Amino acid sequence: MHHVPSPVLRRLADDPLAVPDRARRHVDGCSRCQAQRGKVAGDAALASHLLSVPSDFGGAGDVDLEWIMLNERLRQPDLATPPVTAHRRHLPLPVTRISVGAGTAAVAAVIAAGVGAAAALTTVFAPTHVAPVRVSNSDLQAISSITGLSPGELSGGVSPSGSVPLRFGVLSWTTAGQLRQVSSVAQARALTHLAYAAPQALPSGVGSPSSIEVLPRVSATISFGPSASGGVAGSTLEITAGPGIVVQYGASGSGGSSLTTLVTVSMRRPLASSTGATASELENFLLSQPGTPSGLAEQLKLLGNPGTVLPIPVPAGASEQQLTIGGSPAVLVTDRTGAASGVIWESRDGIVHGVGGLLDSGDVLRVARQVG
Amino acid sequence: MDASFAARLRSSPGSSTRSSVAQESFAGFEQFFREQYQVVVRIAFAVVGDAQLAQDVAQDVFVAALSRFPDPADSDHADAWVRVAAAHTALNAIRGERRRQRRQQLSPAEPAPAGPEEKVLERESRAEVRRALSRLPRRSATVLVLRHNGLSYAEVATAMNVTVGQVGTMLRRAESALRKELAHASRA
Repeated sequence: MHHVPSPVLRRLADDPLAVPDRARRHVDGCSRCQAQRGKVAGDAALASHLLSVPSDFGGAGDVDLEWIMLNERLRQPDLATPPVTAHRRHLPLPVTRISVGAGTAAVAAVIAAGVGAAAALTTVFAPTHVAPVRVSNSDLQAISSITGLSPGELSGGVSPSGSVPLRFGVLSWTTAGQLRQVSSVAQARALTHLAYAAPQALPSGVGSPSSIEVLPRVSATISFGPSASGGVAGSTLEITAGPGIVVQYGASGSGGSSLTTLVTVSMRRPLASSTGATASELENFLLSQPGTPSGLAEQLKLLGNPGTVLPIPVPAGASEQQLTIGGSPAVLVTDRTGAASGVIWESRDGIVHGVGGLLDSGDVLRVARQVG
Repeated sequence: MDASFAARLRSSPGSSTRSSVAQESFAGFEQFFREQYQVVVRIAFAVVGDAQLAQDVAQDVFVAALSRFPDPADSDHADAWVRVAAAHTALNAIRGERRRQRRQQLSPAEPAPAGPEEKVLERESRAEVRRALSRLPRRSATVLVLRHNGLSYAEVATAMNVTVGQVGTMLRRAESALRKELAHASRA
């Protein structure tokens, strides 16, 4: 047999089963072909070392976000593909001012309410980070009158399923099962498939977990009726969030006290999709509803890309601080007295976390950095 | 998901008619995007060595793909097309970078960003690979990044419209050329 040609030797390096037995036998017995094979394999290994990118490399970004960005770009009048180097990405605006709802209750409520906030503003919603929106009591009342939901319901106190008529359509929601008490964090992890890391070092005064709950996945739908204007009529907006894990901690050495000192919440971020209207159409429509507080609308518009920001309602009077947890933007809020604080952030794997309690901000952050 | 855009895209200018067919089609494109996005950005990253630029490349590729394959499921080569397009677009990007570097050489140099020695070396090494890739014939560079990022011989053959046997030949030549380019650069 003639010597084995280089292309066949090349294939022998990474796809040997595709090379005929005859060629392989020749190489085994031919010093010249073996030498050539070594050279070919060396070049192949060098190229592989320099050019191979692991399939799970972390630079691919967030496919949900990329899909939103593609949609935004396609809405531009000129659909021609610009030179790559001239194209500026419409990345989410940096969070320049971040805050969060105060205290334990706000931490838990805000995450639940985030679903509603998401629904109100986006067609395709896949938030990558959180940002604050100052909400006053009068704002809440105004939203309540528009949506037909009471302020308590807006704070997460809705029933497992239901629907309410809106001025412009119908809001309905369902949950996949019931909120469920479980006996261990491991069980909660298994039920939710969330990589939740329970904090190991707890602040002084915080006891062991008093309650571990699994939040079911929540789905909500807004069906816009024919009276809705601005291209929204007939559209349906579907929002999903969860599942999640809520762990409450009691006080150490408190005997039979039922005082909750610390709460951690971790849940899959909300996602929204529309069967019709665009994100811009929805945002413009909803923010132009009669009775929408102008200051709140202005804040929401200033957040930038509505598809990538999870608005966090912040009660007036709380102090707020911008920081990072695990490299992700986070907002820390402390109530006026400093006795309660909470922090919310979205980790890079798309999980929204909240940690709050009757603790100072330093203790809350020490716990948060163990969770995220 | 943004079906209204899809409807507008397919309707005449000024028309607000929404076609359910177009909406279904755009849903099909979203599925295609989600299936192909990772491999496209990975191929781009292999060439440009920068995650954000690779994501930009992927965006450009899918913008172009939508006009060419509005219904990707109806095409038997949409997958192959976006992969080759990723390689080509990324190669265009680094060739543009070469031109920019030439211009920079004619103007006062800016100080290099400071950083740990390992990072500087890694950055220089990546830059060297990009320069070498940009000097290779386009088909050679393309076959390299496709094969070394998970495509089988058969997939590379389909993507580049050649026979499986030709892939081995192209790959061997390309790898040899890459080694020579790098050796040449290290001597320079």
